[in-house]
Amino acid sequence: MPRRLGGSVAVVGIGHTVQGELPDLTAEQIAVDAARAALADAGLTRTDLDGLISCKSVQGDGGDVATGKLLGVNLPYVQTLDYGTCNFSLHLAVGAIHAGLAETILLTYGANARSRKVDFGAPVYGVDLAEAAGLVHIAGRAGLALQRHKALYGTTDEQFGMLAVGQRQWAAHNPNAIFTKPLSMEDYLAQPYLVAPLRRADITMISDGGVAIVVTTAERARELRQPAVYISGIAEHAGIRGEHNPENLMRPWLREAAGAIWAATGLGPDDIDALYIQDPTALWSLQMLEYYGFCGLGEGGPFLAEGHTLPGGRLPLNTHGGQLSESYTWGWLHVVEAVRQLRGQAGERQLDAPAIAMYCSSHGFVKAAASILATSPDVGR
Amino acid sequence: MSDLTPIDDPLAGPYFQAARQGRLVVQRCNACHALRWPPLSGCPECHSRDTAWVDVAPSGTIWSFVVYHRAFAAELKSQIPYTVALVELDDGPYMVGRVIPGPKPPAVGDRTIAEFVETSGVPSVHWRIA
Repeated sequence: MPRRLGGSVAVVGIGHTVQGELPDLTAEQIAVDAARAALADAGLTRTDLDGLISCKSVQGDGGDVATGKLLGVNLPYVQTLDYGTCNFSLHLAVGAIHAGLAETILLTYGANARSRKVDFGAPVYGVDLAEAAGLVHIAGRAGLALQRHKALYGTTDEQFGMLAVGQRQWAAHNPNAIFTKPLSMEDYLAQPYLVAPLRRADITMISDGGVAIVVTTAERARELRQPAVYISGIAEHAGIRGEHNPENLMRPWLREAAGAIWAATGLGPDDIDALYIQDPTALWSLQMLEYYGFCGLGEGGPFLAEGHTLPGGRLPLNTHGGQLSESYTWGWLHVVEAVRQLRGQAGERQLDAPAIAMYCSSHGFVKAAASILATSPDVGR
Repeated sequence: MSDLTPIDDPLAGPYFQAARQGRLVVQRCNACHALRWPPLSGCPECHSRDTAWVDVAPSGTIWSFVVYHRAFAAELKSQIPYTVALVELDDGPYMVGRVIPGPKPPAVGDRTIAEFVETSGVPSVHWRIA
């Protein structure tokens, strides 16, 4: 089980580029633009850094060496992750800070998959037999899991559609969001299936963009210009046997990450004021709401239908619009939004003084991660 | 389907060769006898690399299915709408395959029988709802 962190590490800077289309920029240029914004937000410069954790895009751009050249830094601690969602980068930074490898670490992510017209129908994990049968694009596997959920638990299109419809409601108040046009349930249900039972609105649209985050010790954080947002606890679990796991598309191993994060913080679902779930498809949110215990297993449909995750509900979910309505950026902006909400800087969509936020993500159908962030260093102590 | 089909792949090739003969095969570890699918270069249970390809019953149950209304690859354009199922074989492993259109739409839990279909020279297992 992860150790109690007790707010020993904090997020002190957040930054991002415009989300959408950034033609003529490389992934590393986009990452550097985001890094400049995050450092400015923290009131730091690159000379204050002693660590860099860069995240590769799906296309393999954004390695630490390529990013470091453009940033113009030599540092005591540098690392690259080949998978995203920001959670894994954040956790690596916590570990590095606790080990004393670095004190102030910049996390970067940049991608230009839209302008590069990357083919997301192409096999992701190399040619395989499932793809040979036409099971291509993430919508295929997500659709299989949703269809199974519908058959087991009676989940309806209207219940599941609450995710896409709700995300658009939140995005309406986010100037950074790509999709802000209202989406009613009637509009949603009128959309044709893309990969039944999934519609277009259930799946993220690829966009270009960059995000960067600055993480440091709680002691250092208190000297900086922004209100510190403390990391109260982290947990991960990997189902890396992948499709050789029974029922793998239901991602039963999410339950292990959930058990670990609650045990590591002493918190429970009722303590969470704002929830962030990385959502390349809406299925991710349905599964994680259940496994992390915000509702019972199989009860996600009725839970969503009751409106708890919408603006005004008791469990605000992805208050920026998430990957379905804000942008593709692989979960990174979920952390940015959680920090904004906890700082009280979320503008028109600001919640009423949230104290604890949670971010859950997964890397495809193999890895799960969760973090809890709070305004007080005493949470999770 | 040629770009997506690993018909000459050393790991998956025996599946296609068997399908051409109307047989459904998966890997079995010669040391611990565990069945495995999709194919792997070694046994994840005992780490033996001594592997056989064995016949399994050409029948199973639909674990789930999806219907593609969009072609995500050029070679799939002429085939939409098409249905793909994840079938739990009666002998244990899960296998992805096309569903042959029938009189009624598929449902989770439907019994299925394998049929061996050759498309553009590529043999593969498709599933007919029983």
